[in-house]
Amino acid sequence: MITLTSSDGVQFDVREAVAKESQIIRDMIQDDCVITNIPLANVNHKILSIVLEYCQMHVDKTEMEVNASKHQTTTGEGSSSVPVALKVSSNKNLNDWDKEFINVDLDTLYDLILAANYLNISGLLNLTTQAAADIIKGKTTEEIRATFNIKNDFTPEEEAAIRKENPWAFE
Amino acid sequence: MPQHRRLSSWSELLLKHAVANMPPKTLTLNDDPTKPLSHPVPTSFSGDLTSLLSDELLLLVFSFLPPPHLLSPASLVCRRWLHLAGRLRRRLTLLDWSFLHHRLPYRFSNLTDLDLLPASFVSPSFCTALLTRGTISVSLDIYADPPVGDAQFISCESISLGLETISSNFPNLRKLCTVAPTVSDSGLFAIANSCPILQELELHGCTDLALRPISVFENLQILRLVGSVEGLYSGPSVTDIGLTILAHGCKRIVELELSGCEGSYDGISAIGRCCAMLEELIISDHKMDNGWIAGLAFCGNLKTLRLQGCKRIDTDPGPEEHLGSCPAIESVQLQRCQIRDKRSLHALFMVCESAREIVFQNCWGLDDELFASAAICRRVKLLSLQSCSALTTQGLESIILSWPDLERLTVISCNNISDEELSPALSALFSSLKELKWRPDTKSMLSSSLNGTGMGKKGGRFFKRRILPGQQRLKVKPDERPS
Repeated sequence: MITLTSSDGVQFDVREAVAKESQIIRDMIQDDCVITNIPLANVNHKILSIVLEYCQMHVDKTEMEVNASKHQTTTGEGSSSVPVALKVSSNKNLNDWDKEFINVDLDTLYDLILAANYLNISGLLNLTTQAAADIIKGKTTEEIRATFNIKNDFTPEEEAAIRKENPWAFE
Repeated sequence: MPQHRRLSSWSELLLKHAVANMPPKTLTLNDDPTKPLSHPVPTSFSGDLTSLLSDELLLLVFSFLPPPHLLSPASLVCRRWLHLAGRLRRRLTLLDWSFLHHRLPYRFSNLTDLDLLPASFVSPSFCTALLTRGTISVSLDIYADPPVGDAQFISCESISLGLETISSNFPNLRKLCTVAPTVSDSGLFAIANSCPILQELELHGCTDLALRPISVFENLQILRLVGSVEGLYSGPSVTDIGLTILAHGCKRIVELELSGCEGSYDGISAIGRCCAMLEELIISDHKMDNGWIAGLAFCGNLKTLRLQGCKRIDTDPGPEEHLGSCPAIESVQLQRCQIRDKRSLHALFMVCESAREIVFQNCWGLDDELFASAAICRRVKLLSLQSCSALTTQGLESIILSWPDLERLTVISCNNISDEELSPALSALFSSLKELKWRPDTKSMLSSSLNGTGMGKKGGRFFKRRILPGQQRLKVKPDERPS
């Protein structure tokens, strides 16, 4: 068991495998195997609990698959189609679960991107940045600005020039 | 890279302090304890949300966007987005030359593949028509004489200046397509000196003089020289002088295409002698002097020879004993060539005697007698014939039965070859092949490509569906329906 402490002092006890989903924690544990308490100065308890939920789910799924394949090798061949089907369905389940999991408000999404980047959890980072891209996708410039609260720092002439050169100057 | 440092609370600051004051042993757990602290997570922040993301993170988000969306709505959001979105773009085709100087480096800082050709033609003041040839579209000056075939490039000085701008802004350029400035070669020199990893170069309107800087390109592997394009522009083109400069300058070249170039035996043999790594030679619509084909034998490592759109191959190849042959040749391909002359085709096959692949596509005039000269090649494993309608079944049979190693055969849209005329010997050969694509007549090809579309069948059902309910009364009898 490893204890992770959030920036606001809340402690989370998690299995080592779950904590190791984070590259940065994995590196720390590899460097020194007696470490049991890791303070995470940049993640508050709210975000950390969401991140750990993600890690927990993914570790569980992977372990389930490993067990399934072990089970297959011990019971011998003959029913090889069953574990494949199981794997496919569990992958599908996991994707569905990810989709549901990432359905959060924009502030939380941003916090998750930053946390995933800080803790270096590549799966979560891809998932969150993809979700952010999906929000941008299909919106007009004005809608994007409004959604993300971005100030337009172009002069009107500049913006007109860019709009004009887009179709004409290159492809 | 600006780091977006923001501390959300005092407790965090205190914790940071605490981490910094940990015993040394704890500190060694992490190589750089301050580094992960540089991205504090905000809990609630009202302002530009994307400003919290570092450039890398925002680029990661952008990389999931489809390129057209990235270009138009996303780039226009703010300056930072414009700049970052531009960094993801790698390939660009320039359409307007003035954009190159003023805006191109500002908007796209990471280009590796740049095509300047479409922007390099002079736009006439009276533009009424657009001429498209291949991938290039040019505005036509209909008052010029002649209006077609003599498109003008913008001045050498502007092109050179443009190339200098590019060289100073895109050091990671890998592929460039440009008009070769004949008079001032400072542009190409600048590219050669500043873009060390340039691998692929295409020079349009190329002349002998324009090839002077070619030796400075250190890592050039693929070179395409276009001297003239029929119907688009004519030029002084490249002659033996240019080919010799090229041969001595680009010793590490792997793939060479000569399109609309002049030259002769001397130029080709010089390339063969000097460019030891040359593996693929493409000759398009050449204007070379008779006898050039004998120069090919000097290309010791040539694996693929392709002739494209040539009106003739080599009408006077010289005495057979002087032809020689390419030792490493594997594939000889003729596409859209006019083949009328038996001597030249014979000479080509003599030079490519050890070829394992022979490909004919849309070759005009390939009849039985001409095809018979392919019998010199004894090691052919693959033969592909597409749209060669003069060849008959007997002509094909007499040659392929003499090839002991034949493994793969493709015959598509050759109308004079038919299933009915297959002899037992040919059928036996077909059954021993590893791969056979046999669609000799266009009719069978048409029906196979229309499969599932509902077209190409008897008119009945297809037209029936289009009769609207209100027009039922006007329905004609089935046998009078158009088919």
